[in-house]
Amino acid sequence: MLVADNIVKAYATDAGNAPALRGVSLRIAAGEFVCIMGRSGSGKSTLLNILSSLLSPDAGQVRYQGRDLAGLSARERDRLRATDFSMVFQMHHLLPYLTAFENVLTPFLSSLRPVSAEKRRKALDCLARVGLAEKADRLPGRLSGGEQQRVAIARALVTQPRVIFADEPTGSLDGDTGRHIMQILAGLNADGMSVVMVSHEPGYAAMAGRVVEIADGLVKAGA
Amino acid sequence: MNILTIPLRNLRRKLPRTLLMVAVFSIGVASVTALIDLSKAVGESLEAKLSAYGANILVSPKTETLSVGYGGMALGDVSVDIKYLKEDETLAAIKGIHHKDRLSAVAPKFVVLTRVAEVPVGVVGVDFDQERQIKSHWHAAKGSLPGDPSAIVAGFDAAARLGLAPGSTVAVEGREFTVSGVLGSTGSEDDRLLFADLHALQAAAGKENRVHFVEVAALCSGCPIEEITAQLTAGLPDTDVKAMQQVVKSRMMTVDFVKHLALAVSGVILLTACVMIGLSVFSSVNERKNEIGLLRALGFSKVAVFFLMNLEALVLGAASAVVGYCAGFAASGRLMALLNLGDQAAPAFDPVQFGLTFVAVAVLSSLASLPPALAAARIEPSQALVML
Repeated sequence: MLVADNIVKAYATDAGNAPALRGVSLRIAAGEFVCIMGRSGSGKSTLLNILSSLLSPDAGQVRYQGRDLAGLSARERDRLRATDFSMVFQMHHLLPYLTAFENVLTPFLSSLRPVSAEKRRKALDCLARVGLAEKADRLPGRLSGGEQQRVAIARALVTQPRVIFADEPTGSLDGDTGRHIMQILAGLNADGMSVVMVSHEPGYAAMAGRVVEIADGLVKAGA
Repeated sequence: MNILTIPLRNLRRKLPRTLLMVAVFSIGVASVTALIDLSKAVGESLEAKLSAYGANILVSPKTETLSVGYGGMALGDVSVDIKYLKEDETLAAIKGIHHKDRLSAVAPKFVVLTRVAEVPVGVVGVDFDQERQIKSHWHAAKGSLPGDPSAIVAGFDAAARLGLAPGSTVAVEGREFTVSGVLGSTGSEDDRLLFADLHALQAAAGKENRVHFVEVAALCSGCPIEEITAQLTAGLPDTDVKAMQQVVKSRMMTVDFVKHLALAVSGVILLTACVMIGLSVFSSVNERKNEIGLLRALGFSKVAVFFLMNLEALVLGAASAVVGYCAGFAASGRLMALLNLGDQAAPAFDPVQFGLTFVAVAVLSSLASLPPALAAARIEPSQALVML
C-alpha cells in the first residue's frame, strides 16, 4: 500500500548539509502495524513525515496505492491528508480554544459548510472509543496529558483514515498512560487500520506487528 | 460549526486584545462617519449662506460695444444697440435646464433711467420674491418692502438725495408709484437706485415681457457651475451667459476645502486603522504558526488557511463598522449642535449609507489582512514540523 524507495533527505545547517536519510527503502502493507525505531537523530521522524506527505524527499520516491506522492498536486496532497492519512504528534497540538469535541471535529472545519449531524455523531463515537465521551465539553486545559493525547487520537480517527502516522505518541506520557495509548492504537490496527508509529521504547515497539530499525539514516533491520 | 468557529473562538479567547482592536478601528470608523456627515452639513450650510449673498450667473442679451475716443480723450465703451430679453421665453428656458433643481433663485431685471424732481435716477423693475432670495441682507430702514405693484422702494442714498420717505409718491414713465419703504444701507449700488415691481415698470415703460438681464443663483455644492452655464447657453442661444467666476470660485473653494479636508483626515484615520488591523493579523499569524502547521497537516488547503486568517480580520472589521457607524452617527448630531449647524436638518439614519460603510470597512479590513493571510497560507506543514 505504501512504498518508500531509496529515500534521501538532508537538512541545511550552518555547518553545511546534515544527512537525515541516506537511501531508505520500506514497504508497508494494508492493515500492518509498523514501528520505526531508532536513537534520537537517527532519521525516524523524518522518514515518518516523508511517508505521510508532510515533507518531500530530496531523492527517491514514495508511492501510495501505486501513485507517486511527488506527482500529486498540492490540492491532491491536502486531500490525501484530509481523507486517507491522519497524524498523531508527540505533543498532541489541540486547539486550546476549542472543546475536546470541537477539536475532534477540526478536520471538518475547513469550509463554510456546517458540520453535519452525522459527522458530529462520528466525533462523539471517536471520543467514546478513546474513553472520553463524558469529557467532550472540556477545553484541553482542563484535561490531563494522557487525555489530551487521546483527544488527538480521536481527531485522527474521525476522518476514518486508511493509515495513522503517530510520531512518538507516548513520548510525553507516563508509563501507564503510554500503555493505554498503545492499546488504543493496537485496537485500531486490529480493526484493519494501518498504523505507522515512531518510538524509541522497545516495550511499546513489541506491541507492533513489525519493527523497522533505523540508524544513521539507513534501515538496519525490518525493511 | 464551520470554518468561522475557529476565528470567532480565537477572538473570544483573546477578548481584551479583540476589544482593543475593535475600539481602535471603531474610533477610526466613527471619526470618518462624523467627518463625512459634518462636511456634508457644513458644505450645505456654507452654500446656503453664500447663495444668500447674491447671484452667481448673469444672463444678458448679446450686445456690441464700441470703444469711443476722440482728441486723445477716452469716452469709454458705448453700447451700439440696447437689446432686451423676452421675459417668458428666457425664464422658461432657464427653468427648463437639466440642473434646474440646483437653481435657488431666478431674478429678472428691467431698468429705466428717469428723473425724479429733476434729479436723474435709475429705477429697476424686479420680482421682489426672487430678489429677496438673493439679497437676504435687504431690510427696510423705514416703512416696509413693497407688497403691491403700485409700491416702490428707495435705496438708502437715493431716498436721501430725492427726499423720499414712506408715503411719498414718485412718477416714473408717467405712472405714479408710492414709496412703501427705504432700504437700509447695503454699501452696494442698490443704495443709489429705486426698485419697483417688474411688471408694473414694464407696463409703465410700454415694454411688456421685456427684461434687460436675469440674475441666477445656483447652488453649487456637488454640481459644476460650468455645466449649469453650458446648459443655460444651450437653452438661450442669443444670450450671453456669464458665470461670475470670483463668486463661484470662492464658493466652490470653500466647499471643496471642507470636503477635501474631511477626505484627507478620513484617509489618514482609515489608513492607520488598516495598518493596525494588518499588524494584528500579522502578530496572530506569528503566534499561531504551530496551529497553522497543524491545520495544514490535518488537510486544510492553503486557500482554507488564507480564508481563515482573512475571516478574523473580516469579523474585526464588521464589528468595528457597526460600532463605529453608530458612534459616528451619534457624534455628528452632537457636533452639528455644537458648531451651530442647527439650521441644517439633523442627520437621519440612512440604511444605504450604513450598508455602504459596513461593506467598505469589511473590505478594507479584509484588504489590510491580505499580506499576513498570504504569509499564513504559504506556511508549509514541513515548516511547522520543526515546531511540532
